[in-house]
Amino acid sequence: MNDARNLWSRRLRTDFRAALSIIAALAVVPLFVSSPYWLGILVVSIYFALLALGWNLLAGFTGQFSLAPAAFAMLGAYATALLDYHLKAPLAIGIPAGILATALLGWLLGRIVLRLKGPYLALTTLSFAEISRVVVGNSHEFTRGDQGLNVPTLMQSRVGYYYLFLAVLLGVLCALYLLMRARAGRFWLAIRDDETGAASRGIDVVRYKTLAFALSCAICGLAGSLYGTFSQLVSPELGLLLQTGLVISMVVIGGMGTLTGPVAGALIVYLSSELLRGVGNIQLIVFSLVVIVFARFFRTGLFGLATGRR
Amino acid sequence: MSLLRTEGLTKHFGGVAAVEDLALSMEEGEILGLIGPNGSGKTTALNMLSGFLAPDAGRAWLAGEEVTRMAPDALARRGLLRMFQMTRVFARISALDNLITAGLARGLTERETQKRADALLEELTLAPVACLDAGQLSGGQRKLLEFAMCFIAPPRVALLDEPFAAVHPVMRETMAAFIRRRNAEGHAFLVVSHDMPIVVELCPRTACMNAGRLIAAGATRDVLKDAAVIEAYLGSGSHA
Repeated sequence: MNDARNLWSRRLRTDFRAALSIIAALAVVPLFVSSPYWLGILVVSIYFALLALGWNLLAGFTGQFSLAPAAFAMLGAYATALLDYHLKAPLAIGIPAGILATALLGWLLGRIVLRLKGPYLALTTLSFAEISRVVVGNSHEFTRGDQGLNVPTLMQSRVGYYYLFLAVLLGVLCALYLLMRARAGRFWLAIRDDETGAASRGIDVVRYKTLAFALSCAICGLAGSLYGTFSQLVSPELGLLLQTGLVISMVVIGGMGTLTGPVAGALIVYLSSELLRGVGNIQLIVFSLVVIVFARFFRTGLFGLATGRR
Repeated sequence: MSLLRTEGLTKHFGGVAAVEDLALSMEEGEILGLIGPNGSGKTTALNMLSGFLAPDAGRAWLAGEEVTRMAPDALARRGLLRMFQMTRVFARISALDNLITAGLARGLTERETQKRADALLEELTLAPVACLDAGQLSGGQRKLLEFAMCFIAPPRVALLDEPFAAVHPVMRETMAAFIRRRNAEGHAFLVVSHDMPIVVELCPRTACMNAGRLIAAGATRDVLKDAAVIEAYLGSGSHA
């Protein structure tokens, strides 16, 4: 691939256009699909696409393998729900508060795990995720524990929700595209490839790693917060490790370190899991096998296969 | 005023003194050689100078500013650049993107970086592989790429750790010529190397370490004749 198409700015532009074409295709889906059930499934797929984009910013672009994306979605959802439950705060305050709270927690977690790598980083973030879920589930007086909390909805229309999620996905994609083609994006890639090398070239590794944590967690928090208003119920189940496993499968299958991969992966994995629902838990076995095959033979995922970048 | 100076720089790993009371000094526009047998403390000294290792004791100054315990990125932004024995390039982006990243990290604009990168790639014979991922380059090409990354914005001093090790003779000459040209423009280098002919050729002045201590410093030819240096390399009795 010794041609100018391999330059980062061009690769990113091609990637962004492919992601936009998926969004354009999704935008016309309600013209053909009117079933509230399937629109609901698509809304949940987009929720997972947001989580996958958030996790991919950290793992795919910055090389920090966190196991807490679902936990941050849960924390974002709970921040919004708790503000409504205890203070009757409107969603116009609750949703931004959910984003801000998860960004701050992400920044803090980023500072704590700053010097950890590989399995140590993964295990620390996993511990954080499980502690958060257990604390939320056991704080009955404050969170109503496993019963969960009711959240007001933003609108009754399912099509309206579909387009709201799609607009948020488009916004997050555009923001990530702008970040990735700017200084920050290049520095994140450098940190992913060689942290010591990045520092030796003058990149403030501490600053950019914590920024990636904060932004990644804020995207997950935003997804969780919106999802809470869609399902009108938030519970500790949102933060289950199984959900994080799904997010990771989506990114690995779609293509890590790309914009299109997480979106395509989320749609493929979630829609397939719905189609396989009738055959029981076999879908988990199928996804696990597919992830193993991709991780072993197709590291760049479906997007890499489609663009010839192995 | 010295460009780079250390006083009493010391680093112990457990009971082993990797570097003990190191006093080095180099001037603007100088190429200083740093030699010594394996395990003599050269790389540890470089790690302390470039901020990757905090010294247990001692101080370091860059152009009069104390830089002891300063982070590597802050030192790089002040113009103290490091090249590693095992190359540190960004493997999954192209060689040109490596240079653009290095330029942005040093505060250049993307347009300015692109212009300088093109010139450096040409000068270092890397233009034909500019769009290849850095991970696909040969070991020698990666070393040349590291040179280019150090010089994307003029450094005050470049610390080179074994730049000529395991490199094809043609590439070695490309590197040596690059160092000579940049030195003629006034850039300073601290070169750690086991390659004595090239140290003699490039470095008017050399310091030698053994067992963590500086055992000789001065004109390169004098240092290489120093009895303590010969003994460090060849063992006791070799100069008898």
